[in-house]
Amino acid sequence: MRTFPQPSAVTLLATILSTCLLLFLFQKIIWIVVPLLLALMLYYCLRPVVAALVVRGVRHKTAAQFVWLFLQLITIAIVLEMALLALAKSGTWQSDFGRYLAGGQNLLKKTAENLEQMAPIFRSMKMSEQVDILAQQFTDRFSNGNLLPIAMRVLKLLPSLLLIPYITYFMLNDSTRMKKYIIRSVPNAFFEKSLLLFSRLDSSLLNYFQGLILLTLLDTACLAGGLEILGIKNAIWLGLASAVLAWIPYLGSVIACIVVVVVAATDFPEKYWVAYACLVLFLSVRTLDDFIFVPLTIGRKLHVHPVLSILMLFLGAMVAGATGLILTLPLFGVVAVICETVSQVVTDRRLKARYRAARQLTSSQGYDGHC
Amino acid sequence: MRFFSADMNEQRVAMLKNVPIFHELTNKEILEVDELLHERAYEPDEIIFEEGDQGHGVFIIISGKVRVDPCHKLLKTANLEFGPGELVGELTLFDEAPRTATVVAIEHTVAVALFQAEFSSLLTKNKSIGVKVLNEIARILSRRTRQLLLQEKHCPSI
Repeated sequence: MRTFPQPSAVTLLATILSTCLLLFLFQKIIWIVVPLLLALMLYYCLRPVVAALVVRGVRHKTAAQFVWLFLQLITIAIVLEMALLALAKSGTWQSDFGRYLAGGQNLLKKTAENLEQMAPIFRSMKMSEQVDILAQQFTDRFSNGNLLPIAMRVLKLLPSLLLIPYITYFMLNDSTRMKKYIIRSVPNAFFEKSLLLFSRLDSSLLNYFQGLILLTLLDTACLAGGLEILGIKNAIWLGLASAVLAWIPYLGSVIACIVVVVVAATDFPEKYWVAYACLVLFLSVRTLDDFIFVPLTIGRKLHVHPVLSILMLFLGAMVAGATGLILTLPLFGVVAVICETVSQVVTDRRLKARYRAARQLTSSQGYDGHC
Repeated sequence: MRFFSADMNEQRVAMLKNVPIFHELTNKEILEVDELLHERAYEPDEIIFEEGDQGHGVFIIISGKVRVDPCHKLLKTANLEFGPGELVGELTLFDEAPRTATVVAIEHTVAVALFQAEFSSLLTKNKSIGVKVLNEIARILSRRTRQLLLQEKHCPSI
């Protein structure tokens, strides 16, 4: 995504501090941050569609309205589908959830027993008993203490997701004017360079988001195909959800893998090899991602150093809890690009000298005017 | 979201109609092009761009006057003041080469800038407007090149 040179220590520090500050603010307004981020992603994916319509002679505004209508229809279809699903499952979702937790717990116990049979050291440690106790404690604590708050947070977020088509429409319709208004505030000396960096940032984001959507489709196809072969129910939806969860660096893939393995262990309680096969499938798709799909689609990832990534994850979790953990790396990537862009513009000696001269001219003109 | 009232739109159209490269455009087309233009105001003696800067677009002078300070021998012989409706920096609309001269405002000057990225998107999205503008720019470029070759002391391309 980045096309800029390595940042200086000061820029890096500014990037870390800005990311932490933004995370702190974002967790307070998460209901608008999530739709905004998703709308930004949709905007970059739909912009070529609007451009294609304009090339075919449709006016820009009409093309944006047409895309907005299409988005609205999709939103209505998703809302209806979710409402029907919620109605159908309203009586059984709590017991289903418990069943899946028990399935996961059984898988862990069975795995520990197998390890005990293979290696005596695990037997002497009484691994299966320990795993059983720990898993039971975790499921009790999770279902009693954490499940309801998480469910309530997700439910609170759902209505704000209806804003996505509207925000996307305004971005599609007015992005050029918004860009003009932002650039207008830049002093003359920095104007040309700012415009160039703005344009580069825009095309980097366009390539990144389009690549991300293509990567998601490829991941969905591979995971859904593999899960279908293994006989898992709702393979397409599980594949899609896993591919979307993979947008969250590191954590997303782990969460998705755990969910699918637990589903497999619950649906096939007597065939534990299916759950292990799901694990192998996830690892294979991850390897395919790293070596083939990512270079083909996104090209390059955020290029954040692994130590810095872990530091940012800790900082994100400390500053904004679960929200910080999810948002910290993508946000850090975007803030890094913006900070580097700004530092390139404001540290250019030639442009700074020109800016100072222009300011002197403006002030002397003002003085002359008063005389 | 509307940023200009109808009156302001009419004023903009009238202002841009006076620019030769937009002569052939209808009012509606001018408003479309206007979305891509960036208006800037310069004080007397303020630098618009400097020789050696990486150039990315053309500046069209709407009001005021600018002076060109070239280093190149060939350009020094030419008339180097430009007024309303004239273009400066048009060569970098087609490639990202360094600017060949420094342009300074002589008096309070208002200019609009059209940049390479936006000009390319105009050519792709709206061919009829793009071709009209491109045609006018090509005409100006060829006239200036001819004048320079004939060593007429008038308007070089920079």
